[in-house]
Amino acid sequence: MQTKFEHFAATSLMGGSEHPPRQNGELMFDREWEERAFSIAISLSKKGYYEWESFRQQLIYSIAEWESAHCKDDSSYDSSWDYYQRWLLALERIVLGSSIISSEELEAKTNEFISREQQATSNS
Amino acid sequence: MSKRFYYGNERESYSAARVRALEALLIEKGIIGSETVDKVLDYFETEMGPFNGAKLVARAWVDPEFKARLLADTTAAIAEMDFPTGMAGAEGENMAVVENTEGVHNVIVCTLCSCYPWPVLGLPPYWFKDPTFRARTVREPRAVLKEFGFPLEESTEVRVWDSSAQIRWFVLPERPKGTEGMSEEELAAHITPEAMMGVARVEVKA
Repeated sequence: MQTKFEHFAATSLMGGSEHPPRQNGELMFDREWEERAFSIAISLSKKGYYEWESFRQQLIYSIAEWESAHCKDDSSYDSSWDYYQRWLLALERIVLGSSIISSEELEAKTNEFISREQQATSNS
Repeated sequence: MSKRFYYGNERESYSAARVRALEALLIEKGIIGSETVDKVLDYFETEMGPFNGAKLVARAWVDPEFKARLLADTTAAIAEMDFPTGMAGAEGENMAVVENTEGVHNVIVCTLCSCYPWPVLGLPPYWFKDPTFRARTVREPRAVLKEFGFPLEESTEVRVWDSSAQIRWFVLPERPKGTEGMSEEELAAHITPEAMMGVARVEVKA
């Protein structure tokens, strides 16, 4: 059987703490940036910048970090949990770690987008 | 893919800007193309093509006599359909259907090998062949279904059907409410392989 990399990548995350949210079987994205972050992670691995397993380990680590900082009995436990925030953190780390982009570049570009966004809001 | 909530705060605009910055830098450096991200997303959105199983289910929903024949002798009922040769199952293989009802939900799995009713459902998805998925579905079907975004009511009985070389199971899902006026073809368009594996319900999206 032939397996597309996209299919392999998404389904290899099932069965552990790192599985992405699904709605009636389909991947569920609440916000536009989530699906873009999802797709960027897959695209870079598909192109060979890192092994998918390395991303998966990074994601597991980012999730574990959040879990160790939050107590299950906490009333905010469920409401402050955000799968794709952890995904984005794992993606940033693996991208910066593999020297594709430097953290200075990423900071500068992020600030550029934020100020552009703020200008657009104040102009409207 | 579904979008359910609206978030609007500073952390959100930061995350959105961060992802846009990542994508923009990767494109600037020629690491990914400007279309790459959309192409990956398209794959997940359009992966489901039309398939024979959907036609069987739709026919069973609109034709009670066909449904009775399908449940009684699946292979013979499939042979009635105008499918390409070989679609009724290769030699020595029998297919069988289990029906979902209000109180009973069926899931198919194969713990020994990957016996999958491919003539009806197409090629099996990667996870179906994954040993963890198979083992966990048998051991804790409710937990697995919940991960698929398909939690079951406490009162619903779950039956797990283990395919073998002799019998390959698939699920006849429940017809969604509000579809009484739909034609067989319209119904078929909404039936996914996941629904016929028992890991999702059939949904008619507005």
